[in-house]
Amino acid sequence: MTVKWLAAEAIEAMLAAQGIAVAPGRGGRLARGLEASIAPSLEEAARAGLELEGEPCDFALALERCKAR
Amino acid sequence: MTDPCGWSIAEAARELRAGRVSARDLVSACLARIERWQPHLNAFVAVEAEAALAAEPAAGALSGVPLAHKDIFYRAGRVSNCGSKIRRGWIADTTSTALERLAAAGALQLGTLNMTEFAYGPTGHNEHWGACRNPWNPAYAPGGSSSGSGAAVAARLAFGALGSDTGGSVRLPAALCGVSGLKTTWGRVSRHGAMPLCASLDTIGPLARSAEDCALLLAAIAGFDRNDPLSARAPVPDYVGALSASPRGLHIAVSSAWIEREAEAEVGAAVLGAARVLRELGATLVEAQPPEVDALSAHCMVVMQAEASAQHARWMRERPADYSAVVRARLEAGFAIPATVYLEALRRRGPLLERFCATSLASADAYLLPAMTIRAPTLEQTGPAGGPEMPRTLGELTRLMRWVNFLGVPALAVPCGFDSRDLPIGVQLVGRPFAEATLLAAGHAYQRATDWHRRAPPEPS
Repeated sequence: MTVKWLAAEAIEAMLAAQGIAVAPGRGGRLARGLEASIAPSLEEAARAGLELEGEPCDFALALERCKAR
Repeated sequence: MTDPCGWSIAEAARELRAGRVSARDLVSACLARIERWQPHLNAFVAVEAEAALAAEPAAGALSGVPLAHKDIFYRAGRVSNCGSKIRRGWIADTTSTALERLAAAGALQLGTLNMTEFAYGPTGHNEHWGACRNPWNPAYAPGGSSSGSGAAVAARLAFGALGSDTGGSVRLPAALCGVSGLKTTWGRVSRHGAMPLCASLDTIGPLARSAEDCALLLAAIAGFDRNDPLSARAPVPDYVGALSASPRGLHIAVSSAWIEREAEAEVGAAVLGAARVLRELGATLVEAQPPEVDALSAHCMVVMQAEASAQHARWMRERPADYSAVVRARLEAGFAIPATVYLEALRRRGPLLERFCATSLASADAYLLPAMTIRAPTLEQTGPAGGPEMPRTLGELTRLMRWVNFLGVPALAVPCGFDSRDLPIGVQLVGRPFAEATLLAAGHAYQRATDWHRRAPPEPS
């Protein structure tokens, strides 16, 4: 999987929709930064193939299961 | 008389109990050092000399021991600036559970410590309050975000300090300043009354001069708190009693070839040297597969950016110009992360924790690795003047930190040597959830056999 993050204009529009003002051209830098930092997350998630039943709260159970005995 | 500020918390508490020194003596000694060092370090935001000198400490394990804390721990009626312009002069209406518990154990507070703006950065830069500096060499980064905590403890201005660790903010300053720092299991210490950054990742932990001192501080603050719904109900073990456990029988996982490949030569040599010391003390070293630090760190970044930006959404809309450019840029990025990506990262958290415990910790009690792949960078290298290499330097600085926060597990950072520029090198021991006692016992055994943690930075000229 090759991650290509959102276009600069899309990011600027996304932030504007949330009421976040950014300087002109800022979207490009944000896009490059996010592409680099998020790509490994998306790639790992794509490789993993999560089960339908997996949910964020499972982390609390994992903490309990992984405790030293 | 020996300068009492050179004592550990354990030693100071012993001298206090024996009546050979008073709390006022210790506070006075710390204040004298703060006066000498503060112009060089900018570690303190506020010094509360009169209150500390007049304080009547409660009876307890820390009775009369002067501490100081990162400026994110609230006290009702007192200012907590959170390293920011936005909260400059803000007065809290509640008191942090961790501070209440330290006070109940008898600890005194000398003042509040410098930090990265809103705890959102790894270096020690702060354009609102001035950069905090590394006591071993003021040109170098002290690490953040608990920069003042690392610097003050290393320079013997306070016997210990609390910090917070969302993406390395206790362990980085501990490693860069040459002190011991414990990132606690997510939920082990109540976050009530501590400035929030990312609810899924925030942890509170101690910085002190030794693993033993970290155990004393953790013993005071750990445990369930009904004011923090995410605090764990897991029983609190006897962290101090557990320090006497022998490393014999302890299995420590290490990925030697990976460390040699990924870390700078001086860092790798010092960290693998620490592993050998533990083996000589009776621990068994187990070669293990390294965790997928880059993928785990990327998941952590997704969660951290989304949650931090949501936490700051109101101020980012109403007063964005009151953030520093660096923190504002970090916060802007979080608004471009889709909710599906954020939630998918959170869904991966449980399975990835189980995988780490079933692989890297399959036949071990702890996993040993460097705190950082690189030697300490300068403040200039990690700031706006750092040039095109700056992002890479920051990336390496934090590369071995965030994966631990994503998995929610505890990690102890202790000094394991000095580089050729006389700056500290740190090693991390990462454990299973709620295995702080194991890590502290291993760190204590290591520090009984070595003296890296006893070295103090040279006095300022």
